[in-house]
Amino acid sequence: MTNRIASLKKAQWERIHHSARIALDPAMALPYRSGALPDTARTALRLETALAMETPYLFPGELIAFTRTVPNLPPIFSETEWDTIRNAHFIHEMGNVSNLSPDYGKVIASGLLPIRDALGDHALHAAMRRSIDAVLQLTARYAQAARKAGDEALADTLERVPAQGAKTFREALQSLRILHYAMWCEGDYHNTLGRFDQYMYPYLAADLAAGRETQESAFELLCAFFLSCNRDSDLYPGMQQGDNGQSIVLGGMTPDGRDGFNLLSEMCLKASAELCLIDPKINLRVNKNTPLSVFELGTQLTKLGLGFPQYENDDVAIPALTALGYAEEDARNYAMAACWEFIIPGRGMEIPNIGALPFANTVNRVIWDKLAACPDMNVLKSEIRQAIFESVRRTLAERRNLYVIPSPYLSLFFDGCVEKAQDISLGCTYNNWGLHGTGLAAAADMLAAVEQEVFHGNLLPGALLSAMDANFEGYDALRHRLKSAPKMGNDDDRADQHAVWLLNTFAEAVSGHKNERGGIVRAGTGSAMFYIFHAYELGATADGRERGTPLPANYAPSLNIRLSGPVSLIKSFTKPDLGKVINGGPLTIEFSDSVFTQDESITKVAQLVQLFVLRGGHQLQLNTVNRERLIDAQEHPENHRNLIVRVWGWSGYFVELDKCYQDHIIRRAELNL
Amino acid sequence: MSAQKSAGKTGVVFDIKEFAVFDGPGIRTTVFMKGCPLSCAWCHNPEGLSPAPQLMVSRAACTHCGACALVCPSPENCTACGRCIPACRGGYRKIAGETWTSEALGERLQKDADVYALSGGGVTFSGGEPLMQWGFVSSVIDRLRGIHTAIETSGFAPDDVFSDAMRRCDLILIDWKVSDPALHLRYTGVRQDIILRHVRQLAAGNTPFILRMPIIPGINDNEAHFRTAAALVQDSESLIRVDVLPYQRAAGAKYEMVGMRYAPDFAEEASPRFFTEVFEQSGIPYQIFR
Repeated sequence: MTNRIASLKKAQWERIHHSARIALDPAMALPYRSGALPDTARTALRLETALAMETPYLFPGELIAFTRTVPNLPPIFSETEWDTIRNAHFIHEMGNVSNLSPDYGKVIASGLLPIRDALGDHALHAAMRRSIDAVLQLTARYAQAARKAGDEALADTLERVPAQGAKTFREALQSLRILHYAMWCEGDYHNTLGRFDQYMYPYLAADLAAGRETQESAFELLCAFFLSCNRDSDLYPGMQQGDNGQSIVLGGMTPDGRDGFNLLSEMCLKASAELCLIDPKINLRVNKNTPLSVFELGTQLTKLGLGFPQYENDDVAIPALTALGYAEEDARNYAMAACWEFIIPGRGMEIPNIGALPFANTVNRVIWDKLAACPDMNVLKSEIRQAIFESVRRTLAERRNLYVIPSPYLSLFFDGCVEKAQDISLGCTYNNWGLHGTGLAAAADMLAAVEQEVFHGNLLPGALLSAMDANFEGYDALRHRLKSAPKMGNDDDRADQHAVWLLNTFAEAVSGHKNERGGIVRAGTGSAMFYIFHAYELGATADGRERGTPLPANYAPSLNIRLSGPVSLIKSFTKPDLGKVINGGPLTIEFSDSVFTQDESITKVAQLVQLFVLRGGHQLQLNTVNRERLIDAQEHPENHRNLIVRVWGWSGYFVELDKCYQDHIIRRAELNL
Repeated sequence: MSAQKSAGKTGVVFDIKEFAVFDGPGIRTTVFMKGCPLSCAWCHNPEGLSPAPQLMVSRAACTHCGACALVCPSPENCTACGRCIPACRGGYRKIAGETWTSEALGERLQKDADVYALSGGGVTFSGGEPLMQWGFVSSVIDRLRGIHTAIETSGFAPDDVFSDAMRRCDLILIDWKVSDPALHLRYTGVRQDIILRHVRQLAAGNTPFILRMPIIPGINDNEAHFRTAAALVQDSESLIRVDVLPYQRAAGAKYEMVGMRYAPDFAEEASPRFFTEVFEQSGIPYQIFR
């Protein structure tokens, strides 16, 4: 790390820029909330207001500028207006465009002015023009501030981009910083930086070839860009701090079928290891031919406890996306949404987290309602199949008449939005939706326990239900038997086969559904925050799990079981046909940090990741934790401000999480492998 | 010792650990065999000492609800019958020591042959002292054709057993605990001469081996010990490296669980001193495990 980067990092960590933040006067919302304005115009005026209120702020030694000084402005609708809209529409999350991958590369290359020149009289075009002007005006003020501060290089850069197409690596990074910054100011959130190493590499390569930059100077610029991603993250909306979707994707197949891993991919992994910050979160696309050295580079980050890279397997994802109807070059170009959903940069207005199938709750309900009447396992399974189909149907039936707040600025980054004068909130090339599948392992464990004890043993359904109802108080022997039944994660087909079947059934249940925008519905293995919600609704369950025990996050084993180890875990979790559930959701493995006390462990963990890939796993994230340190951090947060953990599909600072998420991570740490 | 050789059908295992990263090359599974003739003052696996299955209780977590006592048929003398285990609501009780047949264990280990092959890994038998159940261990090894096998041993075993292990295993990890014979007896409970003979046999032989040195503050963290170790392996062509294993303060964690008391008579909190320059001077490869 250069001295400049070290002092920039220190200044940022000390939050010196927070003193420049201003307090908001709610009255400033009155003009853009005017009843005379349609929603599109309101968004543009709000963006203009937000950017006009900004005061340029330059860190000492700044390389990549733009820092927020204005907190989030009030929404474009009054509460009454929003209530009316909510009553008439399905609103996803906060109502904004989220979880997309804008085609930043295209705009960095062209610049905003040529796009502006092509705009016409349409109301959306007017809103786009207003947005572009607001961005360029703030950039001009930043350029003046840099000039005044005597930083000619920064001023020169800001005078060129993002108005013009970037010519150098520095310009491209600065342009991206501004374009992404304005996205947040428009009110959009969870939109990712996409395939950063693909769209940025040409600028780096040109600079190196021309001798404008050395690898060292380019690395410093990259570090400065990564630092800038962490400046304003407390202002980004999310379920928890850190859940902000600022992720990048590295490596993977290019749209024309080549291997995309390049010098910049490697530099990104190294920059992240040096900086040890939560943003940008890294996704690393790999395949069966990825060399071990790449997995080792990724493992260096895992060792640091960053909770990323998260790995995606091209061998599974690309054919699966193609089978769902994505064009081959688009499937090859996939990126990740905020957490782990597979999406297409610049072409998708997809909602990959529009709902969830709660596996554990669904299976538990059937056990309660139907087990007594089921003569064998097959009848029970056909009841469960019906319940899964019904749950999917009901969830989708509730998602009608979707309204998304328009985003004329973000629309600039999506195919066809300018040409067709159609806001991205209304749709794009791909308009598919996705459902998470939560609590899968718990559901498989319930089925394994019921099969062994009820259908192959002599346990009466009534006795099982009474024991569950009593939270197993007074049923110690039974609880012990249920807990000793086969569990998913130990490479035991008696449990794993149920998971295979449940996922296949889920995929069949979504198949054939069309959403109102003509898109399909994808099944997945993720959980997002649903793993906390869904566990609250469950009592004690047939797998011997007591009331109150949390469900596992994402695609992971139950939390109250004894595990054989990571090899069995990987074998269990690669048995399902994961291409059928390619909405996404990673297997999550927690390691004790003691694993990494020897250097050769890097290679061994890298080989374990490779094993997952070779066996047809779709997605994997690894967490390195130290249970004692987590517990100490709960008691003495002031001593652990920089302790990073993986939560569900993102990394955050442990001390900034709500206690229920902290407790879940500590519990997972107890399963250390 | 022929009794051990013939008793090859079943063995007592107290743990099977996948992805054991410190027990040899690649991704390995380590099988912990129960029973050890030594009683090292710093032993961190007290449940590996006795050859018989035994009850382990997390006494620190126990809420003293008394449910275990209600079902216990032999309160005066635990027979490790296991009846109290389902009774314990917290799951704080378990039996350390499971009897395996060589077929079943061989099958369990074979299952992951693809993983060992991918990573250049294999199976390690540790303990306890794996050579104490050599008849069983060797019959499991016979079932692991094509899989890299290692043993982690104190070297305290009959000569024919040790020679057989050298022939059958791909790697031997052997401890060199204390160089001074009198202190060796005092701190490990056994004489050093048999172990010394076997270390020399390894150094002169052609089975690859790693010499492991637990470094205990005040007992063997002296230069003479490092010099003795270096002299033992200096000219060996089969030595891979020396592993220096500093004493871990967590060593005493499991004693209470098996109803034993951990009372080390050395300065537990002191940092052990290393004299690894001795290895550097002699060109002996080494690695420190921190």
